[in-house]
Amino acid sequence: MDIALLSLSSCLGCQMVFLSLEEYLYELIGGNRVVYAPFLMDKKELHHADLALVEGTVRNTEHFLKAREIREKADRVVALGTCSCFGGVQGLADLYPESRLLRSRFGDTAFEGGPQGVRRLLPLDSFIRVDAYLPGCPPVPALLEGFLRSAVSGDRLSREGATVCAECKVTSPPLPQPGPRRLTEGSGEPGKCLLDSGFFCLGPLTRDGCGALCPSGMGVPCRGCRGPSGRVLERKGADVEGETVRRLARATGKKEEEIRAEVPDPAHTYYFFCLAEPLLRKRRSGGTSPYLHRLGE
Amino acid sequence: MAHLVIGPLTRIFGHASLRVEAEEGISPRVRFSAFGYRGFEMMARGVHVDNLPPLVSRICGPDSLFHQAAACLVVEKALGVEVPPAARSMRELALWAQFFERHAVSLFVHGLPDLLFPSSDPGLRNLVSIYRVDEEVVRRLLSLKSLGTAVLRETGGPTVHGVNFRPGGVVRDLPVESRERLADRLRSGESLLLETARLVKLLLRRSEETVRRAGSIGGSFLAGHDPGGMGITGGSPALFTPGTEVVEPRPVEDLGERLREEPSTSGHVVYAGLEGTEGLTVGPLARVNVNGRYGTPRADEELSELKETWGFPVRYPMVAHALRMLEMLHAWERMLELLREPFRGTLGETLNPAAGKAGVYIEAPEGGLVYGVELGEKGLVEELSIVSPLQFNLRNLEKSLAEAFASVEKEGQERVSDVLHMVVRAYSPCVPCGVH
Repeated sequence: MDIALLSLSSCLGCQMVFLSLEEYLYELIGGNRVVYAPFLMDKKELHHADLALVEGTVRNTEHFLKAREIREKADRVVALGTCSCFGGVQGLADLYPESRLLRSRFGDTAFEGGPQGVRRLLPLDSFIRVDAYLPGCPPVPALLEGFLRSAVSGDRLSREGATVCAECKVTSPPLPQPGPRRLTEGSGEPGKCLLDSGFFCLGPLTRDGCGALCPSGMGVPCRGCRGPSGRVLERKGADVEGETVRRLARATGKKEEEIRAEVPDPAHTYYFFCLAEPLLRKRRSGGTSPYLHRLGE
Repeated sequence: MAHLVIGPLTRIFGHASLRVEAEEGISPRVRFSAFGYRGFEMMARGVHVDNLPPLVSRICGPDSLFHQAAACLVVEKALGVEVPPAARSMRELALWAQFFERHAVSLFVHGLPDLLFPSSDPGLRNLVSIYRVDEEVVRRLLSLKSLGTAVLRETGGPTVHGVNFRPGGVVRDLPVESRERLADRLRSGESLLLETARLVKLLLRRSEETVRRAGSIGGSFLAGHDPGGMGITGGSPALFTPGTEVVEPRPVEDLGERLREEPSTSGHVVYAGLEGTEGLTVGPLARVNVNGRYGTPRADEELSELKETWGFPVRYPMVAHALRMLEMLHAWERMLELLREPFRGTLGETLNPAAGKAGVYIEAPEGGLVYGVELGEKGLVEELSIVSPLQFNLRNLEKSLAEAFASVEKEGQERVSDVLHMVVRAYSPCVPCGVH
C-alpha cells in the first residue's frame, strides 16, 4: 500500500507519535511504501496514495490547496488528530476574526506574496471529503497502531466508541466535595473520580480510546482531547458546558449558577479541543449520521 | 534579478520555503518564508492559569513541555510562588527527556541522512529508504530516540503534550520502581549512544567541505548562563561575543527591555533581537559558547575533542549536529542523576489568584524561549507574549543561507537546493514555534 503522511497547520504532535510506533513502525514501512511525508523524506510531490493521513487544520489557501490535492490523489483520506477532526486547540483562534489576529501580531505589515487566511477555522471535512477519523491530541501510539492495522488491511473501521469514563479506573468519593476546583488549587485524592471530586473533568462527554491515561493514570482531569463522544455528537448541539456544570453542582452541592460564576473562560474549559466543531454549533450541514458513521474509527 | 523558490522544505519541523534573490554583482539574499500564524497569544487572553500550560503546549508537539514549563514559570514568578524541590526535579527530568527526543528526531530523522549519504539522490536520504537497505541502522537510531520517549511516558502520561506540569508544581511523582526501571533502560543505551556520538563526529569531519561552505556565524551568542544545567529549567541568560572573551550576564528584566521584534515581509516568523547587539544566535552553538562546558563527564570529554577539531568558540552552523549529539549525552547523564534522587516531599504549591507581571527565559532544544505575562486581579491572563528560538536565529539563518548559496550557485539548481536544505537542517528551525 502507498501511504502519505502530511501536516497542514499543526504542532506536529501526531507525526511524533508516528515515530513512536516502535515495532509496528518497522512493520509498516517495511511492508508498505511511504510515498510522501515531508517531515520524514525529501519528496516534493505526491503522485498517488492509497491512504493519506492528514494532520492539522486549514488556516490558509496554501493548506486548502494542499488538502484538495491530497483528496484528488489519495484513494482514502484520514483526518489524523483532533485538529483535523474537530479543529483542535487551534480552533480557539476562531474566537477572533483572522484580520484581528494578524493585526495584533504584524501590525500593517504588507507581506510579499503568501497565502490568504480562511474566514473560519473548521475541521478538515468542512473543506474536503474525509473517509475516516482518528481523533486524539495526539492519538496515543496504541490507538494509532490499531487504526493503521485496520486501514492497511482494508478492514472496515468499526470501533463503536464509548466515553473516557468507561476506561477510567477510579471510585467515587463521598459527596459533597469542595469545588469546583482546578489543579492549581491542589491535586485530587489518588484513585478517586476527579469529576465527583469537584474538578472540571470532561471524561463523561469525551470519546474513549486513550485508556483514560490522564484521569486514571496521572490524576489529571480529562480536557476532552479525543473530542466529543458519539452520544454528544448525535444530539445535535449537545450542551457540553451544561452537562459538566450539572455534574459539578451535584458533586459539590452547589447551585449551577455558582459553578458557572467560577468559570471565567468557558471556551477553554469546556470546548478546549472542539470550539471549531460545527456540530456543537448546530452548523454541520447534511445532518450527523454520515459523519458519525465515518467516525467509527 | 533572478528569483528562485526552494520549497516546500523537507525533513524539517514544519512548513517553510526559501526565496532566493540573486543579481549579478550584488550579494545574494535568501529569505526564509513560513506562513500560518495561529494566534496563541490572543487565544490565551482571559484564560485561567490552570488552562495556560495545556494551551501553549499545542504550539509545538516536539517542544511541548518547554512551552508548558515556560508558562508555569512565568505564572509562578508573577504570583511570587516558589516551587518545591521535588517538583523542580520532576520537571527537569521530563524536560531532559523531551530535549533528548527532540534532538534525536532533528539529528537522526532530519540531519544525519545527508551526512551518511551525501552523494546519493536527496529523495533517498531518509530513514524509510535506509530501512529498506539496512534495517539495523534505523532500528538502532530510533531505539535511541525511544529512550527519551520512555521517560516522557513515565513522567507525563501522554508522550506528546504530557500532563504532569501545572502552575505551582507537578501533579505526580515517579515511584521508586519506575525510577529504577527507567534508569536500567537508559543505561542499556549507553554503548549505542557513545557509538553514535563517534559516528556523528566522523561523518561531520568527512563532510568538512560542506561544513565550511555552509559558512560561519558572526555576531553574538545568547544562552542560559548555567554551566551544568544549560538553563532548561529557567534562569538568566548571558551574552557572549567572540573576541571580547567576556560572558555578559543579562538579567531577564534587562532582556525584556532590550528585546526588539520586527515583522518579516516574507512570512509570519517575526525577527527578534536585542537592541545594540548584532546578529544574535541561540541554540546548541550559543549554549556551548556561553558556558564552555556541559558539566557532566561524558559530554565534556566529547566536547574537548570537538573543540580541537572545529575550534572554540564554535562558529560553524553545521557543527550544531555534533553539538546536539553531545547535548543528548548530557541529557542522558542528567536523567540518570535525577532518577537517583530520593523523593523530597511536597509536589506543588496552591496558587491564589492575584494580579502580577513577569518575564522568564528558558532554554528550549533550539535555544532561548521567552515568555512574558500579565495577570489581572482575578489571576486571569490579560496579556501573553512569546518569543521563540527561530525568531532569534532567523537573521543568521538567512545570512548562512545566502553565504551557502553564493558558494554553490554555479553548480546548478539541484545542488543549490541540496546545500540550502542542509543549512536549514543544521539550524533545525522549529516553524510551529515560530508561527505560534
